[in-house]
Amino acid sequence: MEGGHVVEKKRSWVLAALVLSIAAAAAGGCASGQVSRAEQADRPAAALKSDDLVFVEGGTFKNAKSNYYGSDIIVQDFYIGKYEVTQREWTAVMGSKPSRFRGDNLPVDSVSWYDAIEYCNRRSLLEGLEPYYNIDKSRKDPDNKSEIDPVKWVVTINEGANGYRLPTELEWEYAASGGRISKGYKYSGGNKPDDVSWNWRNAGEKYLSGGWSWHAIENNQSSTHPVGRKKANELGLYDMSGNVREWCWDWYEDPDIEAGLYRVVRGGGWIGDIHTVEIAFRGKFEASGIGPDQGFRVARNADQGTAG
Amino acid sequence: MFKKRKLLAVLTAVAMVAALFAVSGGASANTYWQYWTDGGGVVNATNGPGGNYSVSWYNSGNFVVGKGWQYGAHNRVINYNAGAWQPSGNAYLTLYGWTRNPLIEYYVVDSWGSWRPTYNYRGSVYSDGAWYDIYHNWRYNAPSIDGTQTFQQYWSVRQQKRQTGINVSITFQNHVNAWGAAGMPMGSQWSYQVLATEGYQSSGYSNVTVW
Repeated sequence: MEGGHVVEKKRSWVLAALVLSIAAAAAGGCASGQVSRAEQADRPAAALKSDDLVFVEGGTFKNAKSNYYGSDIIVQDFYIGKYEVTQREWTAVMGSKPSRFRGDNLPVDSVSWYDAIEYCNRRSLLEGLEPYYNIDKSRKDPDNKSEIDPVKWVVTINEGANGYRLPTELEWEYAASGGRISKGYKYSGGNKPDDVSWNWRNAGEKYLSGGWSWHAIENNQSSTHPVGRKKANELGLYDMSGNVREWCWDWYEDPDIEAGLYRVVRGGGWIGDIHTVEIAFRGKFEASGIGPDQGFRVARNADQGTAG
Repeated sequence: MFKKRKLLAVLTAVAMVAALFAVSGGASANTYWQYWTDGGGVVNATNGPGGNYSVSWYNSGNFVVGKGWQYGAHNRVINYNAGAWQPSGNAYLTLYGWTRNPLIEYYVVDSWGSWRPTYNYRGSVYSDGAWYDIYHNWRYNAPSIDGTQTFQQYWSVRQQKRQTGINVSITFQNHVNAWGAAGMPMGSQWSYQVLATEGYQSSGYSNVTVW
């Protein structure tokens, strides 16, 4: 892995239990030979540690394929999850199993932006960190203009808190594009989408060609895949392109769409067309939206990122 | 799979969620073709010369066969000849496509089998010798080319089934204009646009040439 280092954080009992469960699963792992996809989903990736975070050294955008290349935007240092949040991690923190596809090392799917926010805070508390978000469920967010979102919690941030949070869109794109050591890839970690991503063509039984087709995807038994099985990007981050789309903190906004309607989702997943797994593709979804291709990864501030 | 999810069960019921796919990168609708089935029943599809395709189906599940363009256009006139159109049960003969920004899934249905699709009525448009009813529909947390999204469907459905076996046209601009007047604007980016046969738990035969 280049350009980043894994933060060895103090582990709470919860995460210690997670590590133990991973070790137990590995010890009881499958014999050589073919295994079913369900078995693969339960088998941990070789280097998977559920609480891995990668330090991302800040700077300006180096990747010419980024939306922010050539701008004077400077991203501050931060930590970001090496993997998408897995179902093992989710269930350990939240106690629920919301995902359409089941497997401890599959990314959690079918979680809304609000679900992801709650996960961050609960995980922070379990690890003795200061929650990053203030969540007020008793009021409706006046800035939320969506006619579809029935939740509309008021969520504000504790800017200096050391707890888990969602990456901002800038942080996500900076990390996906390789940060300071970017090699200028179109997808996160490569120029061939199949090398670095689970996408609609390769996420099922057969490789699909031709134009995007939900029928084809559905009939191909397409699904999410265990995290960390594709090539990592320059920073050692896995699945930034594909597998599940990832919630970011920000409201989505562009010249045609005002803020307050959607939250940003990035990285594409196993359903959308190939363009969605490009580092530059800006996705959007109602904060209350859920889908079997919708998950997230966590981030933390760098200045207090190792506290715990 | 996805369509069986509990969460979707309470959402908008769409009898046939079409995704059709034969696409062409060029100006004519004859470069590529594909067909998809869910494995139910018997579906035999043939990729004919040029813009021709044919499909026979018997006690099918859900399938789609068609030909068209990789990138749609609001001003395209889609010409076709359905030399055979013999559905028994639920099937559509339809122009179909997507736009992005905003994400819109659209249909111009010229003929059907046992069920004529209807959704939220938004008016009518006269085009190519007949009236089409305009319908609007929301799809919540549904699969799309941008991944799971909540998006709108625009429908123009001919009031009477169109004659087959002759050369006919769909002047798509007329529908785009009428949809816009009904508060249903298209997106700014165009994706697939195909003329297709879709069947659902039915039998039949169709042979269509698109240009």
